Order: sequence, then structure tokens, then C-alpha cells
Amino acid sequence: MTTEAHNLTVVGTESSKSRRRIISIVSHVILVGASILMLYPLLWMLASTFRPENEIFTSSSLWPSSFSIDSYIRGWNGLRVSFGTFFLNSFIISIVSVIGNVFACSLAAYAFARLEFRGRKFWFALMLMTLMLPYHVTLIPQYVLFLQLGWVDTFLPLLVPKFLAVDAFFIFLMVQFFRGIPRELDEAAMMDGCSAWRIYYKVMLPLSMPVLATAAIFTFLWTWDDFLGPLIYLNDMRSYTVQLGLRTFVDSTGESDFGGMLAMSVLTIVPVFVFFLFFQRLLIEGIATTGMKR
Amino acid sequence: MTASSLESGSRGAGNKVGTRNVLAKIWQQDGPGYMFLLPWLIGFFGLTVGPMVTSLYLSFTDFDLLTDPNWVGASNYVRMFTADPKFAAAMRVTFFFVIFSVPLKLAFALLVAMLLNRGLRGLPLYRAIFYLPSLLGTSVAIAILWRQLFAGDGLVNQFLANFGIDGPSWISNPRYSLWTLIVLSVWQFGSPMIIFLAGLRQIPQDMYEAASLDGASKFRQFYKITLPLLTPVVFFNAIVQTIEAFKSFTPAFVISGGTGAPINSTLFYTLYLYQEAFGFFRMGYASALAWFLLAMIAAFTAFSFLTSKYWVHYDD
Repeated sequence: MTTEAHNLTVVGTESSKSRRRIISIVSHVILVGASILMLYPLLWMLASTFRPENEIFTSSSLWPSSFSIDSYIRGWNGLRVSFGTFFLNSFIISIVSVIGNVFACSLAAYAFARLEFRGRKFWFALMLMTLMLPYHVTLIPQYVLFLQLGWVDTFLPLLVPKFLAVDAFFIFLMVQFFRGIPRELDEAAMMDGCSAWRIYYKVMLPLSMPVLATAAIFTFLWTWDDFLGPLIYLNDMRSYTVQLGLRTFVDSTGESDFGGMLAMSVLTIVPVFVFFLFFQRLLIEGIATTGMKR
Repeated sequence: MTASSLESGSRGAGNKVGTRNVLAKIWQQDGPGYMFLLPWLIGFFGLTVGPMVTSLYLSFTDFDLLTDPNWVGASNYVRMFTADPKFAAAMRVTFFFVIFSVPLKLAFALLVAMLLNRGLRGLPLYRAIFYLPSLLGTSVAIAILWRQLFAGDGLVNQFLANFGIDGPSWISNPRYSLWTLIVLSVWQFGSPMIIFLAGLRQIPQDMYEAASLDGASKFRQFYKITLPLLTPVVFFNAIVQTIEAFKSFTPAFVISGGTGAPINSTLFYTLYLYQEAFGFFRMGYASALAWFLLAMIAAFTAFSFLTSKYWVHYDD
């Protein structure tokens, strides 16, 4: 009886082993196929930028028959203002946004996570409610406000809100992280007579590098990709971001200079791709633990 | 008299010291918290609450940015539902987009997450590849790429030509244009996939072992174990992705050149709102559109939470 059962399980594991191997091979085939399908458009775009202009529409292969960087040179100076200016503007806006967001959000998050004051729960609940709010309901009055302040066509409407922690998502992200830091650490510092401010930047911030980095990376990427904000506030081409520059390219020369347009598209993706390569683990962990939308 | 005045004087001084003490105490207790909260509080009132109240008020006016707003009652809202075919078109397009893109995207995300959760080798690489489109997705560059892919002489039709199929110009044909945007959205299934993967990891393996010992098929295991235990994650992903789909803007704007063409077939709600506000400067009407969007999102979220107790499985 027992040997019979034993034999049965042995046979079972052997057949299930080979079955498992087949399933795993099939899974790999499906996944590799899906990967190729997913990446093909991106690789094709990259390949197209090195092709002579007349070849773009006739070739769906990934390898250019001849290699040229003309598209990049044409595209870079394809508009009245060069893409160098757009890249500079985008970098300035993105980097200042990162500083503002990390600073302002971590201040608020520290208050919510660690300090005792009346009304804390009330404000925290209000902050959570703004997470769901579509920005459209504040868009028009904000525009009127910034217009009256004379800030339209400057970077200020894009930057000042970051220093006021308007993107509540990052506050929430940091509160979650701060709550995980052992309280003994800041209580010990408090015993030693440290002020809240000192605890914030001597104890909390150094211990929170992972979440600060995640917030910084996502702020950079979202600001870099932001389209609606610059579209509304920046009218002078010299203050355009790369996204606006690309869009103008489509409207003005896109139909005639396809190579140039695709080349500039590739260039605007490069910073995002670099972040992806270097910070992939942080990005994926950030999404897995907080459920970010992108 | 002198004594009493002295007394009252000293009492007054005592009161002053008292209030000062109270204030100092309040400051000691609440001050640091509010100091840290100050930037957020300024932003909250100055850039969120204030503008919200203003925009609610403007939605009942004919504000056009140049002249002072005049109160027009609910006529903006009445016009939306009775006399604005473009609003109706925008609603149709947006709901069509939400209804097809969100379930398809989540289905792909779950399917791939389950494939990846089998302990395959190369998981980090696959995960990274599938996540990349999510990260790039909303940029103008990808919208431009999409415009090219689905153009009359684009990559998709070059591919179809290999099989002798003469594809239409997907982008400029109103029957297909919205579908190209749905495909774009589904292509970005990476981030819900990562969340699904994290959820699948939480399911104890011994449940499957017990089920297969009892002779439950893989299909049954999926229906009886995986799906119920994953419902909180499905719920979360569905809400986040639906709200995102309602707010989708950049791809439709770039692909249609800001018009929602052809024949309003890609006129997303937010695109219409943008046109009204910043194209025609009908700021009052656009504010009404914004508040109706908020109402739709709030109603959807409330509905999801209310029905969640019937289908979302919570452990505790």
C-alpha cells in the first residue's frame, strides 16, 4: 500500500517535471514574442533616425542599409530656436522641480508622520482627498492667478507649485516611509535636546534616501514628460520645453522632415531611458509598493 | 483703593503673563507642526481650495478672461446636456476609450504577470522590457511614433502588406482612430503588471499545492484562489487606471493636432475642455466641464467602493 503510493508519487513527479519544462519553454516563447512586439516600435524609431530620409517609409527592417546622422543635424536646427534651448529649459524646469518637490513634500510628510499638533488628522485627511482630485478643477483659476501675477511665459507657474507641495502623492509616499523608521531614533535625538528641525534634517532625511530618491526620480520624469503645463503657460518659443518643441515640429515641418522629427523624438526619450537603466529597481519598487499610475 | 488698584494691576499683569504662557504653550505644542506644514498649507489654500471655489463659481458665469464674469445660473450645465453636440461627442469618445482600454490593459497586465510569476528565469529582464512603454508612454515622442506607426504608409501597414492586406490610414479614418489610442494605452500595461506581480507574490503557494492535491484544475485554481485573493489589487488597479483614462490628454492632442480629428473621433473630454478654455476662452463653460469631470470621477469612485464589498475579498 505504502510502496504503491510511493511509486505513484515518483511517476507523478517525473511526468510533472517534463510537463513543467514544456510549460516553461512555452512561457518563454510567448514572453520573448511579446517582448519583441512591445519593443519593435521603439527600435524601429531608433533605426529610422539613422536612415536616409527616402528610406524611412519603405523599410520596416531594423538595420539601416546606410548609416547617417543627417536627421539629427537637420532636426536639431529644424525650428527657429534650436533644440539645445528646449533641452536646457526642460532640464532647468525638471531639476528645480525635483528640489522643490522633495523639499516641500518631505517637510509636510515629516509633520504628518512624526510631529504632534492639533488638527493633524484633519489636515492629513484633506491631503488624502486631494490625491483623487483631477487638476482640471483648479486649472483655470490657477491660470488667471498666474496671469494676474504676470508669470505667464516664465517658468514660475510650473515651479512655484512644486515648492508648495501641491503634488500630494509624494507627501503620501514619504509619510508611509517615515512611519517605518524606528521612533527610538528621533526620540533619542529629542532627549538630547534636538529641535524638530534638526531631527528632520539630521535624522529623518539621511535615513530616508530611498524614498527621497524615488520621489526625485518620478518628479523628474513626470516634469520632463509634462505637456499640458508648458502648453498653457509658455508661449514664447525661446522658453519652450522639449515636449513643446517636438509638438511644434509636428505642426510645422513634421510632414516634410520625418527623419528630423523622429530623431528629436528619440533625443527627448534619452534622459528617461537613462533613468530607466540606472534606477530600474527603485522605479519598480516604487510602483509595486505604492501603486503609481505610470 | 491703592491696594485694590494694585491688586487689579497685578491681576492684569497676571492675566497677561497667563495668556502669554498659554500662547507660548500652544506655540510649543503646535508651532513646529504648523511650521513644517506651512508650504503645503499655502499651496493647499492658494492653489487648491481657493481655485476650486473660484472654478465652481466661474462655472455659473460666462467668464471669458477679458471681461468680468456675469452670473448666468446653471445655463452652462444646461447647455452641456441639451445644446452641445461636441460635448456629446467628447462623452462618447471618452467612455468608449475608458470601457475598452481599461479592461484590456488590466487583462494583459494580469496575464503577463501570471506568466512571469511562475518562477521563470530572466524575470527582471522581462519585467523591465514590459515596464519600459509605461514609463515612456505619455511623452510627445511616443505620440509622434504612434502617428507614424498607424499612418497610411506607416509601419503597421507595411507589415500587413507582407500578407497582401492593404490597410487603411488608421489615424485619419474615424472608424479606427480611437482604436489606435486604445492600443497605445494597452501597450502601456507595465505598471499595473508590476502591481499585479507584487500581489501574486502575496498568495501563499501551499494553497495551490493543497488545491492540486484535491484535484483542482489550473483553471479552477485561477478562479477559486488567484482571482479572489487578487481582487483588492484588481480593485486598486481598476480605479487608478480608470481615473487616468478619464484624464488622458497628450496622445490625443498630439495625434490629432489638438483638434480631436477626424470628425471628433478622438475628441477626449480633457481635449475638449482645453479647446473651450484656451482655444475659445470660454472659461466659464470650461469650468463647468471641469466640475462635471470631477463629478464623474467622484461618482465612479464612490460606486466602486460601494460595490466593492460584494466582489473584493479582504483577508481580515
